[in-house]
Amino acid sequence: MAANFNLPGQSDSDSPSLNDQSLFSRSGNRSLRVAEKERRKNEAEDPFVLALKYFSEVEAGTPVYGNDEVERNLVVVEKAAYSRGLSPEAVSVMLEFAMSLRMGTTLCARVLKCLIPATVVPQEAVVRAVVWLGVGKIPTSTQVLFIKWVLTMFDMIDAKDQLRAIYGFIFSFVTDENLCPFICHLLYLLTRKESVYLLLSPQGRQPFVMHLLSLYKVFCPELVTLSIPSRMRSGFRNHNSPWKSALIGIQKRNGSQVAPSISLALTVKDKGSSRKRKHGHLQLPALSSVVNKEAAEPSSLRKVVPLMQLHSFTQLLENMHQIELPAQMGSLLGSSLALQYLDCVQDESAFLRLNFWLGYALHEEFLFCGDGGTSQTSEEALQFLNRLLSTQHFLQEGFSSSEVFLYKFLSVWDGSLLRPQILGLLSNIPVVPSSRIGQLLFEPLMQLFLTSSIFFKCGLMECLNNVLLKWLNWHSVYALEDDWDISLNSHTSINMTLSGFKDSVMELVHFVGRLASLGLQLEGCHSLLLSFILDFYETVCDTFLKYGLPLIVMPPPGVFYPALLATDPVSVDRLAYIMYRWGFFIPMLQSAVNLSGCTYWQAFHISRQTFREFNQYLLFMVSCLLNSKMMFQPGVGVQLNEELLLKSNVPQYWTRFSLIHHPAFMSYAVDFHQKCWPGKKDMDLNSIKNSKMWGWYLDYLFTQGYDGLKHFVQGNISWKSAPADIQQSDSLSASTVEVHAQLS
Amino acid sequence: MSLLRPFSKLPGLNTANILVSLFSLIKLTDFTLETPRLAKSLPLPVENEETRPRIDLVVFIIHLSSELSLQSAEASLKYLDPGYFLGKVCFMVTNARSASVPTERLDAARKLAASLQCPLLFAEDQTPNGVSSATEKLLNILKVAAGHVPMATALYLSNLTRCTLPPDIAQPSFD
Repeated sequence: MAANFNLPGQSDSDSPSLNDQSLFSRSGNRSLRVAEKERRKNEAEDPFVLALKYFSEVEAGTPVYGNDEVERNLVVVEKAAYSRGLSPEAVSVMLEFAMSLRMGTTLCARVLKCLIPATVVPQEAVVRAVVWLGVGKIPTSTQVLFIKWVLTMFDMIDAKDQLRAIYGFIFSFVTDENLCPFICHLLYLLTRKESVYLLLSPQGRQPFVMHLLSLYKVFCPELVTLSIPSRMRSGFRNHNSPWKSALIGIQKRNGSQVAPSISLALTVKDKGSSRKRKHGHLQLPALSSVVNKEAAEPSSLRKVVPLMQLHSFTQLLENMHQIELPAQMGSLLGSSLALQYLDCVQDESAFLRLNFWLGYALHEEFLFCGDGGTSQTSEEALQFLNRLLSTQHFLQEGFSSSEVFLYKFLSVWDGSLLRPQILGLLSNIPVVPSSRIGQLLFEPLMQLFLTSSIFFKCGLMECLNNVLLKWLNWHSVYALEDDWDISLNSHTSINMTLSGFKDSVMELVHFVGRLASLGLQLEGCHSLLLSFILDFYETVCDTFLKYGLPLIVMPPPGVFYPALLATDPVSVDRLAYIMYRWGFFIPMLQSAVNLSGCTYWQAFHISRQTFREFNQYLLFMVSCLLNSKMMFQPGVGVQLNEELLLKSNVPQYWTRFSLIHHPAFMSYAVDFHQKCWPGKKDMDLNSIKNSKMWGWYLDYLFTQGYDGLKHFVQGNISWKSAPADIQQSDSLSASTVEVHAQLS
Repeated sequence: MSLLRPFSKLPGLNTANILVSLFSLIKLTDFTLETPRLAKSLPLPVENEETRPRIDLVVFIIHLSSELSLQSAEASLKYLDPGYFLGKVCFMVTNARSASVPTERLDAARKLAASLQCPLLFAEDQTPNGVSSATEKLLNILKVAAGHVPMATALYLSNLTRCTLPPDIAQPSFD
């Protein structure tokens, strides 16, 4: 059924007034009747065709009550609509019948409710119906119903150029109090730069008006003086309309039947809910783009090239300045070319529209599910989120709408639903201001972390590590040295000072420290979890060298001691590496701060407490591993009573965590012992302690791949100089940590 | 009125007992412990008082799709000894993401949990994965509540995971 709607009045009705429109609609009617006649020959017996014929020809003023014929025909149409949807022609006929009120207002709403298109909605039909709205006889509730219908079917309207041509006409309905929210939504979807229309600025500060205005402001900032909050409540409500479920049902049903036909294959491609279908839109064939080309708007001399007509990167470059974005911003996600365009051009309106669409889609699909969420594990949801993730990966930044969605989602998440995807999205969140980070992120994450399995704990640790990496990258790209403010690219809505950024990062690191301590405590110092935690601290200790951010945060005692006393040598090795990096970096930072004295560095004032902490850790570690004496200093994380240790009857307890007796390294010591004295029956590990053997033993350990340990030992031995009183050291310089790496 | 008391009986060796109070049954198939004790509401019947072991954790499962479920949980609370509220009670809600659930009901459940300083967990009861993950969560908490995790107590965990009243995250103001 090819819809033949080449209306004679169409080409010269570019600036339609009411009179033009009525002419236009009548001529449309005529061509409809012609089409009907042709088909009548073939399908004269089909009751559905007869019903349509009835509705297209019925005289105005025919009574409804007691009219069996209209009832019978309407039932036929309703049945067809709910079972397989209406063809474009049928939609035109029925919409025209309903909106013209030929048989009064009662039938109008009923017909609207069953207007479920099988494939597309012809634009002309919608335009005609909008014009009927202006006639003013339709009751308000029906008007609202109609606009809701247009909003629901918006993606299915085959082209939008004529609708955009009557933008001003649609705009005039803004003054209607009841229609305003819906009209604003429709205008939002239709607005382009040319059509920003502020003669009759909508009044009020309701969210829907603000949303429209925010779009206007993007297009024409000079016209909108209102200040608009950077993040708004999603302004247009989800209309839980009667059509949606029927539409989904019909698309599912048609999916198996009509897939081969070209025009339908695309709507059907991502079968399922209408939301996902949008991914197919970029690949829509010439239909909408051709119409766009023909309808060159008289007002603008600018020639626009629809994005979907471009097929290569060179084409994109050539047409960069005259690209027209597609009607459905969601389709951008599916095309790498479109993403490249987004990335180069940094078109704020594109981001705004994309964010709007995305926020709407995420909210409707994952937070406000119609069926209680059973469909959530479906392939579609997975594909959708994976697509979103790869887009964010491509653009190297997250969308603000997905961020807002995440905050809401985390507060109702069970921790297992779509876990990889959600954690992936979480890794991409932009920097959160420190004043809100606790409420938005930390509270829900803390609960999820502590009540979930070890697997989740590891996953979250990895995710938080990625968050930190993303933030640091962001900082190193946008921060200008010696500057308080981090300069921002235009479409990021975060305004952040350097100290604000530093606070957020500190909050994050401290939060991870808390989580890590608690996690290790609850999971009995699980070595897998420990490994993920040490990953995080490796990132932290390299913030200065790799990202130029002078940040010193020591791991909390709850992480340091479990890692030092762990039973697997890898954890000890990695901790040694981290301590070596700190020892390497702290003196460097110190001299940098002393030399420059600029504000940038002073933002990172590092407290004496931090240095003292580092010195204590280092001292404990060296004395434990290398010097075979455990020194418990007052005021340090671990406190053990001397008497208690004596009571334990462990001989020479102070040597138990030296590299020879440490549970993680004892097997190496035994191995080494056997290699040195192959025939010796009774093993005396203490014999490794003499200085020559000890050096060999360390070399032996280093050959086993313990590079962290190697750096740590060599770094500390080379520092050896005049001994200082470490216990009272609260010096700002770590180089005063003169560690006696004496070999006892 | 018979109160359920947390410390009136001695714990058994290597066992933990969970009381799941739910208004209508959901499939809790994955409980690997001995059968969980299910009750539609409290108070528990007096007959089995003697043979009933010590209950280490009471879980209220609230189906947000039914108002009665919330009311029944609220009504049952008064049959618990105050000692239970030191970390041995938690709430679990289902259907939180459903469009058909009025948001006020979720807010009411949050308020209830927050006022009692108890954790509020979320579960997806429609899918097998969701159910097994919910079970796993409850087991995690139960292990701590029954004292099977060294260096952690019920009150400690509950204090860290307790529900706080949600901010209005629908409109984060960054100004």
